[in-house]
Amino acid sequence: MKKVLKFLKPYWFIAIWAPIFMIIEVLADLLQPRFLSTIVTNGIEAGNMNVIYSTGIKMLIVVAIGFSGGVLSAVFASIASQRFGCSLREAAFNKVTSFSIEQTDKFSTGSLITRLTSDITAAQDFVSMGLRMVVRVCMQFVGGIVMILTLNVKFGIVFACALPLQILLIVIMVRMTAPLFSVVQDKLDNVNSVVRENVVGARVVKSFTTEEYEINRFKEANNSLTEKTYRVQKIIGILNPFIMIIMNLSVIAILSIGGYEVRVSGMEVGDAMAAVTYVTQILMSVMIIGNMFQNLTKAKACMGRIAEILEVEPAVKTGEKNFPKDFDYITLKNVSFAYPPSEEKILEDINLKIPVGKTTAILGATGSGKSTLLKLICRFYDCNGEILFGDEEIKNISLDSLRENISFVLQKSELFTGTISENIKQGKDNATDEEIENASKIAQAHEFISGFANGYETFVAEKGASLSGGQKQRISIARGLIKKPKILVFDDATSALDLSTEAALRKAMNENLEGVTVIMVAQRIASVMSADNIAVIDDGKIAAFGNHETLIKTSDIYKDIYNSQMKEGDDR
Amino acid sequence: MDKRTNKRDPVTVNLRPGGGPNHMARVMGEKPKNSKTTLIRLMKYIGSNKKYFFTIVAIICLSSAISIVAPLIQGKAIDTMESENVKLFFAILFTLGGIYLTQSLSTFIQSISAAKLTQATVRKMRDDLFSHISYLSIGYTDNHRHGDIMSRMTNDIESISNTVSTSVATIISGVIMLTGTLTVMLVKSPLLTAVSMISVILTLSSSFFLTKYMRKYFPKQQRLLGALNSHVEETVGGYNTIVAYTREENARKNFSKTNKELQKIGVLAQIFGGVMGPFMNVIGNIGFLLIAIVGGKIALESNQEIITLGMISTFITYSRQFSRPINEIAQQYAQIQTALAGAERVFEILDVEKEEDEGTDTEFDVENIKGEIEFNNVEFSYVPDKKVLDGFTLHVKPGEKIAIVGATGSGKTTVVNLLTRFYDIQKGEIILDGKDIFTLPKATLRSAIGIVLQDSVIFSDTIENNIRYGKEKSTKEEIISAAKMAGVDSFVKKLPDGYKTVLAESGANLSQGQRQLICIARAILNDPKILILDEATSNIDTRTEMNIQKAMIALMKNRTSLIIAHRLSTIRDADKIIVISNGKIAEIGNHEELLAKQGHYYTLYQNQFAGLKT
Repeated sequence: MKKVLKFLKPYWFIAIWAPIFMIIEVLADLLQPRFLSTIVTNGIEAGNMNVIYSTGIKMLIVVAIGFSGGVLSAVFASIASQRFGCSLREAAFNKVTSFSIEQTDKFSTGSLITRLTSDITAAQDFVSMGLRMVVRVCMQFVGGIVMILTLNVKFGIVFACALPLQILLIVIMVRMTAPLFSVVQDKLDNVNSVVRENVVGARVVKSFTTEEYEINRFKEANNSLTEKTYRVQKIIGILNPFIMIIMNLSVIAILSIGGYEVRVSGMEVGDAMAAVTYVTQILMSVMIIGNMFQNLTKAKACMGRIAEILEVEPAVKTGEKNFPKDFDYITLKNVSFAYPPSEEKILEDINLKIPVGKTTAILGATGSGKSTLLKLICRFYDCNGEILFGDEEIKNISLDSLRENISFVLQKSELFTGTISENIKQGKDNATDEEIENASKIAQAHEFISGFANGYETFVAEKGASLSGGQKQRISIARGLIKKPKILVFDDATSALDLSTEAALRKAMNENLEGVTVIMVAQRIASVMSADNIAVIDDGKIAAFGNHETLIKTSDIYKDIYNSQMKEGDDR
Repeated sequence: MDKRTNKRDPVTVNLRPGGGPNHMARVMGEKPKNSKTTLIRLMKYIGSNKKYFFTIVAIICLSSAISIVAPLIQGKAIDTMESENVKLFFAILFTLGGIYLTQSLSTFIQSISAAKLTQATVRKMRDDLFSHISYLSIGYTDNHRHGDIMSRMTNDIESISNTVSTSVATIISGVIMLTGTLTVMLVKSPLLTAVSMISVILTLSSSFFLTKYMRKYFPKQQRLLGALNSHVEETVGGYNTIVAYTREENARKNFSKTNKELQKIGVLAQIFGGVMGPFMNVIGNIGFLLIAIVGGKIALESNQEIITLGMISTFITYSRQFSRPINEIAQQYAQIQTALAGAERVFEILDVEKEEDEGTDTEFDVENIKGEIEFNNVEFSYVPDKKVLDGFTLHVKPGEKIAIVGATGSGKTTVVNLLTRFYDIQKGEIILDGKDIFTLPKATLRSAIGIVLQDSVIFSDTIENNIRYGKEKSTKEEIISAAKMAGVDSFVKKLPDGYKTVLAESGANLSQGQRQLICIARAILNDPKILILDEATSNIDTRTEMNIQKAMIALMKNRTSLIIAHRLSTIRDADKIIVISNGKIAEIGNHEELLAKQGHYYTLYQNQFAGLKT
C-alpha cells in the first residue's frame, strides 16, 4: 500500500489544499447549530428580532465561506487524485512493458488489464475520497464532540458508551470484508479472461458452435464474481443497521438527559436542540468512517494487486555494453534451457557456431526447441551456458542495443491497430516512405499493399483480421527488414506464404541483404536448402550441422525430412 | 440473385482486405446519446428483478414513513421538555425508540435486498452482454478493439454495479420522502412550506445546470478508459513483438498520451461531480436560515400561537429531509453519471444486431449428410468494388478431398469464411446436400463443419479440455485416442501433469506446432462431416506431419475435406486441386493432371525447388 500511495507524493502540494479547504467547509458546518441555537434562544425566546437578523447574516457569511471551501477542496482533490492515478497507471504500464517474456506469463492478460484499469481506478477514488472525507469526517466527529461537551458535559456519558460499540462494529466489518475484496478482484480477472478468449477466438467458438458452452462458462465466472460481491455487501448490510441503532439510541439518550437538565438545572431548550443536531452529526460521521474503512479495505486489496506489478523485477537484466561491431561468429556454448517454472529441459547442451554474414537454417521436429533457440539468441529468456557475439557475452550487452541489431520476425505475426505503414514503421520510427516501400518490396508485400485503395495507409483491423495469414507475415517481414539489422531472425516466418512468393522473397533477400546474418527456422525443406549451414535439432540437442550437400549424406534425420517433402519431386 | 446484397448491417462490412475509409476501430461513436433513454433502459433492467425490487420499494415506503414521523415525535419531545408531564416526555421517548428500532430493521432488509438486486442486475447485464457478443457476426469482433469490448464488460458494468446498490434506494426513497414530507409540511404549515420550497427550487436548478456540463465529461471518461484497456490488451497480447522490436518506449508513449487525456477529462468530471456536494450544502443552509428567520419572526409575533418553537425545529428537520434526498443524489452524482455513461456503452453493444439467422430448416438431418458442396457463381467482396471472389463455381462431391491453392490473398480463406457463413455471399449460392445454406440455421450448418485454423486458438484450460472443446461429453479414452492420432499424446506424456497441464495464455509451455496439433486433435474428436484445414499444419514439421498423415488420411476418409496449404506434401494426395486466381478457379484437377498441364500449378510446383537453384 505504501508503495502505491507514494505516487501521491509529487502532488502533495496540490493534495494538501484539499483537506485544508475542507477544514474550512467543516468549520462552517459546525458553526451552524450554534447559530441556530442563538437564533432560537436569544432571538425567538427573547423576542429579539435583531438577533435573528444579525445572527442570520453572520450565518450567511459563514455559509458562503464554507461553500468556497467545499468547492476548492473538490477542485484540489480531483486534480491531486487524478494525477496520482495517472502517474500510477503510467508507472504500472511502464513496469509491465519492462517485464521479461516469462513474467507476462505469470499474470494473464485479463488480470493485467483489470489491474491497470479497475484496480487503479479504485485506488484513485480512494485517494480522492480520503483527501476530502477523512478530514471532514474527523473534524465533524471531534468538533461535534467538543461542541456538545461545551453545551453540557453530561452528554459525554452518552458518547463514552456509544463510541466503543460503534468502533467495535466497524472493526468487525473491516475484518470480515478485507479478505473478500481481493477475491472479488480476482474473480473480475476471470471474467475478463473469458471475454478476451472469446473475442479473440470468435472464429473457433462459432465454428464449433460452442456459443452455449462459452455462455455457460462465462455465467460460471460471472456468478462467482457476483456471489462474492454479494457476500461483501451482505456483511456490510448486516452491520450497518446495528451502527444505526446505536446512533438512534444515543439521540434518545441525549433527549432524556436534555429533558432532565431543562427541568432540573434550567438548561435552555435551544441547547438541547443543538445537542440533538450535534449528536446526529457525530454519529453520522462515525458511520461514514465505517464506510471509509470499507473503501479502504477495497482500495487496499486493489493497491496490493497493483503493488504486485510494481514489485516485479525484470528477470532479464540489461547489460552495459554496446553490441560488438565486428565479429565472425555467434557462438552457443553448452546452452541449456527450461521454461520457468518447469524443470523439463527444452534445450540441452547446445553447442553451435553461427557464422556472421551467412544464412543458417534450423530444422527440427515440432516441439524440438527451434523457436526456443531463437528466443534465447534475442534474449527473451536467460539460459544456462553462454551465448557469445564474438567474444561478448549476451548478458553483458544492453538489451536495447542487442535488439536494435537483431530483427526477430515471429512465427505468429502480431499486428497492431493502425495503418500498414505504421505497422511497418515499428521497425524504424523515422522511416521514410521510400524505405517503407523498399522493405515491402523485398518482403514481397508492396504489390498487395499498393493494390489496396488506400495503399500503405490502409487501416489494419483488430489483430490484423482484415488480412490473410500470408499478408500479415509479409508485413511482419517488412517490419523486420526496415530496421536494417545485422542479424535477421526468422521463426518460421514464411509458413503462410505460397511457394512462389517465398521463392521471390528469398531471391530478393539474397540480392539486398548482403552481409546480414540470417538465422531461420523453417519447416519447408525448400526454404532451408539454400542456406549456408543447416542445424538439425532433435529433442533439444543438435543432431547435425552442415550444408545441404553434407547433411543429405551424413544425417539420417535430415534425409528423412528431405524425403518427406521431396521424394516425389525427385522421382519425377 | 441479389437477395442478400443489402441484408447485412453496417458493422459486418469488413475491411478485408483493403480497409478503405471505413476506420471503424478508430472512430468509436462520439455521438452524444440520449441519457433519458439510457436511464429508462437501465431502470428496466433493475426493475426486472421484481421480487427484490418490490421488497425494496415496500421497505423504503416504510422507512420513509418513519423518517417523516420521527422528527414530528422528536419535536414533540422537545416541546414537552419544559412541561411538568415527565411521564408523557418519557412515553414519547419510548415511542421514538420503537420507531428507530423498526427503522434499523427495515434498513437491514433494505440493504440486503439492494445487494441482491444489484448483483442480480449486474449479473444479468453481464450475461446478456456476453451472450449477445457471442452471437454477433465475426465482422463485429474483427472491427472492434478487443480491449474496448472487455472494458465494457468490466469497467462499465462495475460502475453500474457501484451505483445500483446505493443509488436505486436513494432515488426511490428520495421520491417517496419528497412527496411524503411535502404533504406533512403542507398540513402543518403552508407558510413554512412555501419558504422551504425556495431551497428546493434552488437545488433543482443548480443540479440541472451542473448536469449539463457533466454529461460532456463522463461518457468521454469511460471511452478513454476503454481505449486504455485496448492499449494494454494489445501490448500484452503482442508482447513478443514489442520486445523484439524494442517498442516498449513507444508503447509507453502511446499509453501515456491516452492516460494524460484521461487525467484531464477525469479532473473535469470529478470537479463537477465534487462541486455538487458543497452546492447542495449551501442551499440546504440557506433553507435552514430562511426557516429560522421567517419561522422565528412569526413565532415571535404570534407569541408561538401560529408557529411553536417545536414546529420550527420540526420544519428545520423537514427542510433538511427535503433537501437530503436531492443532496444524496447529488453526492452520488458523479457515480451516477459514470454509471449512465457505462450503461450507454453496454447498450451500444446490445443494440448491435445479432448475426442474422434466417435459416429455418430444422428438419435438416445434419448427422447424416453426405457432404456435397456446391458453389454456384459466388461473388463476394469485403469492401465494395473489390471483389475477392467473382463467379466462383465449384462442385465438391461427397467424401472428396479438395486442396485449394493460390497466391497469398487470392481468396482461399474467403471460401471458408463463406461456407461457414462467417461472412455472407453477395451473389450466387452455396448448396450443401442440395440445400441452400441460407435455409439452414447457422448452428446446424456450422456443426456439420470442422475447421482447423492457422492461428491455433487455445483456451487457458487443461490440454484435456482443450481437446474436448466442442464435444464436452467425450470420455477420457476418446480424448486420448484423438490425441494419439494427432500426435499430441507423445509430447503430452512427457509433461509432468500430462493431460491436466493447464495451458498458459501466451503459451510458453507449448510450441506453435504443438498447439496446432492440439487443434487437430480437437477436430478429430469432433468428427465433423466436412473438414476444413486452413493452413492447419503450417507450423508442424513435415516429419511430424508424416507421422500424423495416417491419422489425417483416416480423418478425411468418407469426409468431405477442404485443405488450404502451401506445402505440396500436404496437398499432393488430394482428389482435386483447385488453383484460385483473380477470384475464380483457374485450374482444377489432380496433382498429375495439373503438372501435365504446365499451367499455374506447374509453376507453383516448380517453385518448391527454386531453393535448389538459387
